[in-house]
Amino acid sequence: MPLIFRRADPRWLVVFLANLLLWSLLGTANHYLSRFSFLWIDYCSFHLSIGGLFVVYPALRLSSKHGWFAISLTGLMMDALEPVPFGTNMILLGLVYATLLYGRQRFPREGSIFGIVVALFSNLFLIICLTFMMIGASPRPAEAWMRVFGDLIASQLTILLITPWFLALQDRSMELFGIHPITGRRSAY
Amino acid sequence: MLPKRFDQARPFVTLGAILLLWLFLSLGIKTFTRATFFEIQAPMVLTDSYVQDLQTFWSNRLHSKDELLKAGRDVAGLIADYDFGVQQNKNLQAEILRLENMLNLPPMPAFRFEPARVASRDFSAWWNRMIIRKGENYGIAVGAPVVFAGGVVGRVTEVYRYTAVVDLITSPTFRIAASVSGDSRPMSYQGGLNYSFKSPHGTVENVPIDVVVSKSMPQHIVTSPLGGVFPPGLSIGEITSLEPSADGMFKIGEVALDERLGSLTEVTVLVPLNPDEL
Repeated sequence: MPLIFRRADPRWLVVFLANLLLWSLLGTANHYLSRFSFLWIDYCSFHLSIGGLFVVYPALRLSSKHGWFAISLTGLMMDALEPVPFGTNMILLGLVYATLLYGRQRFPREGSIFGIVVALFSNLFLIICLTFMMIGASPRPAEAWMRVFGDLIASQLTILLITPWFLALQDRSMELFGIHPITGRRSAY
Repeated sequence: MLPKRFDQARPFVTLGAILLLWLFLSLGIKTFTRATFFEIQAPMVLTDSYVQDLQTFWSNRLHSKDELLKAGRDVAGLIADYDFGVQQNKNLQAEILRLENMLNLPPMPAFRFEPARVASRDFSAWWNRMIIRKGENYGIAVGAPVVFAGGVVGRVTEVYRYTAVVDLITSPTFRIAASVSGDSRPMSYQGGLNYSFKSPHGTVENVPIDVVVSKSMPQHIVTSPLGGVFPPGLSIGEITSLEPSADGMFKIGEVALDERLGSLTEVTVLVPLNPDEL
């Protein structure tokens, strides 16, 4: 391993880069889901929003200082590509993260089942917050909620499927750097 | 050592500190940070788009010679049609110029047509946007109209070094003055009716009371001369239903938009030759 990585503590960077990778893959998925045909349905359109997944690893397995760095950068990364007031996602992710940190000692931190549950509830909260913020611009908010509901189901199903993979990816990345996510000790792996 | 109660509340104290810091941060720094984070991600979006192009290229290479010959014949027919259209267009332009000179009218806004590939589409209930593969490097400016073969696509809302963001006509934030084709009275168009299993729709307000539509006879609406930077006469969609507004003086209704908006790969940006027009 290069000397610079042996001296530095890149835990926040590892998590941020993993989030960036998932964010990029999500952008590609949304590109193709903007219009597609499925079986007999000629026009289908879905939008996946899985911001809640970005909080899980930092909240359950990372030290709080590095977690705050990773969450803030991830939020800003999301804000840059979305037409929301800059900082919105950062603050919303921060709120979810702070809530999870508050109860972290009582949570099971290993395994992916609890991670999935946390991701699902976090994502639900984020989607509802964003919807309340943005729905006012719609000419018919009641009809917009129907679309939000469809997107929410698709997003939650996606989270259900990819959370174990994403948590494993971040765990493996930490292993690659030979660093323990909570203590930062090199000898852990 | 800090008291235990403070230690428990520390995450919220940290969040509060971040929030305060963010609120007092100057707008210039926020704008710079946003642009920086966008530009960091831009290469990933562009790479993805170029990989898709490569994929299309290789899948096209798999076509047989017979298929290519048939496509060539179809293209030759289209070229003949377009040649005729270009000739007609030249005659009409000359006629417009003659009338402008005769009536001392101000000239129509002039545009440079800048074709651009779509790098990424983002369609949700909250917003409908796309990122195109041209930006400041091709002189694209904020507010420039974006069109395609089927009419209006949207308006450029953000411009970066090599990319630009387009707010689509299907987006709830998109508003424009429109009129029924062949009728100069203006009405207000707004996007935002996006469904999971139905093509996108928009809404119209302030429709004159004598405009009537039915399912078999929808009314075609186009951009109005009052539509700001948009040249008049560009297709928007078809009004499929109308009902009296709350005050009874106008009508409100729904507009069916082009289904192809959800799968666009190529658009044209109308870059005004006089930037003051934006």
